[in-house]
Amino acid sequence: MDTLSRIKDLAIKELSLDPAKLDPNAPLAGLGVDSLTFIELMFKIEDEFGVKVSDEDLRKIKCLADLERHVAASLQSAGKT
Amino acid sequence: MGVRRVAVTGLGVVSPLGNSLEEFYRSLATACSGVRRLPDEVTLGSGVQVGALVDWDPAMHFKGPEAGSLDRVAQFALTATGQALAASGLDHSVADHNRIGVYWGTGMGGAHTLEGAYQSVYGRNDLRLRPLSMVMAMNNAAGSNVAVKWGLRGPFANFSTACSSSAMAIGEAMHAIRAGRADAMVAGGSEALLTPGMLAAWQALRTLSPIDANDAAASCKPFDKRRGGLVLGEGAAALVLEEESHARARGAPILAFITGYGNTCDAAHMSKPDRDGQVRAMTQALVESGLRPDAIGYINAHGTATIVGDVVECDAIREVFGDAVARIPVSSTKSMHGHLLGGAGAIELAAALMPFTDGVIPPTAHLEQPDPACAVRHVPMKAERGEIPRAVMSNSFAFGGSNVVLIAERA
Repeated sequence: MDTLSRIKDLAIKELSLDPAKLDPNAPLAGLGVDSLTFIELMFKIEDEFGVKVSDEDLRKIKCLADLERHVAASLQSAGKT
Repeated sequence: MGVRRVAVTGLGVVSPLGNSLEEFYRSLATACSGVRRLPDEVTLGSGVQVGALVDWDPAMHFKGPEAGSLDRVAQFALTATGQALAASGLDHSVADHNRIGVYWGTGMGGAHTLEGAYQSVYGRNDLRLRPLSMVMAMNNAAGSNVAVKWGLRGPFANFSTACSSSAMAIGEAMHAIRAGRADAMVAGGSEALLTPGMLAAWQALRTLSPIDANDAAASCKPFDKRRGGLVLGEGAAALVLEEESHARARGAPILAFITGYGNTCDAAHMSKPDRDGQVRAMTQALVESGLRPDAIGYINAHGTATIVGDVVECDAIREVFGDAVARIPVSSTKSMHGHLLGGAGAIELAAALMPFTDGVIPPTAHLEQPDPACAVRHVPMKAERGEIPRAVMSNSFAFGGSNVVLIAERA
């Protein structure tokens, strides 16, 4: 499974989101996900991919596509891809 | 102006005997126990063997991610309150929510959240704690969530006096209405602390009952010669209390009136109960209600099934009620739902109100061999049906020496 699909699956499970309405480019706030709840998803993402997301990085992530780019870049710099 | 009378217009229950008032009453009437052997993943070798768990699936009560932001103790609180408000028929579109408050009781608050955080920090060396850990673990979270969910903007308080917490919440809520500070109050309490760490702490106190080798459900035996200590439970009970004219104006069902509240402290010992403190609390409640002792037709005892506690309480009851003690049925429903600690006072007041429905008095289950040192008029093994009593009493005596007694009168 590609990175974005894995992130989408985790988001659907952790945030109880409707898969049919999940648009990777939609702002998370618009999906009814508040910032604190998003942090909980972050922990799952960190565990799933073995990456670290700093608070500073977190502030730049506005949608699931942003998240996928961040994870992909982290994996690449760690030589995991 | 006369004293403002405070009616009970709604009741809700989440308990080891079922998650509705109807199921709770049915179990009490049939002496059905919710005490079970606890699973190994909860006891973790602490030595605790039995407990009374609520059969609980958060997804059945909360939509989407809501449950994830609520500790189990708050989930219980919201569900019990939802039942109580629905039963009361309070119309939120016309009610003045500035005049409706919440007084709640819990001994340990969000124990599951707290324990989860410690497991993460010390068990997994992982400091990434859930962002809502603080607001889920704090003691006032359960009551505050109730206020938020229904927009109840009147007086708010959280009582944390161990086993008398929710009885105190109800007594103080009654006084808040009497004092004119509110027209209606949600009052009650909840507890959910059956976690490995909490169980280990309780076991260290050496006050928990071992399992009954023949029947785990019969492990809690108040007033019985064979009693071996208390059995921990979890759950919640919520009442809607309402000033009488407010309730009558909207045609609300009136289940009972709360007319007496006693509150004293032993100021003697942290865990050993004191007869004098209990006598003063029962007397205070009787004086406030204006009732003579023989007007009480049922006493729901604190009756935890500890060796010392049951004897002290029976002594105190005999002193307060004198000759009438031979006629007043006394039972401990903890034999069936376990000890709900911060939720005990509320759920046991709910049990004490049961005879007002159809005259059925809940029993002390498993009481086959009454201890002569506990000489009161028991309701052993089976519920009794009689006349609807004029008034009932519910006792809650806590670690720390806090004694709370509530008296309710039939509508």
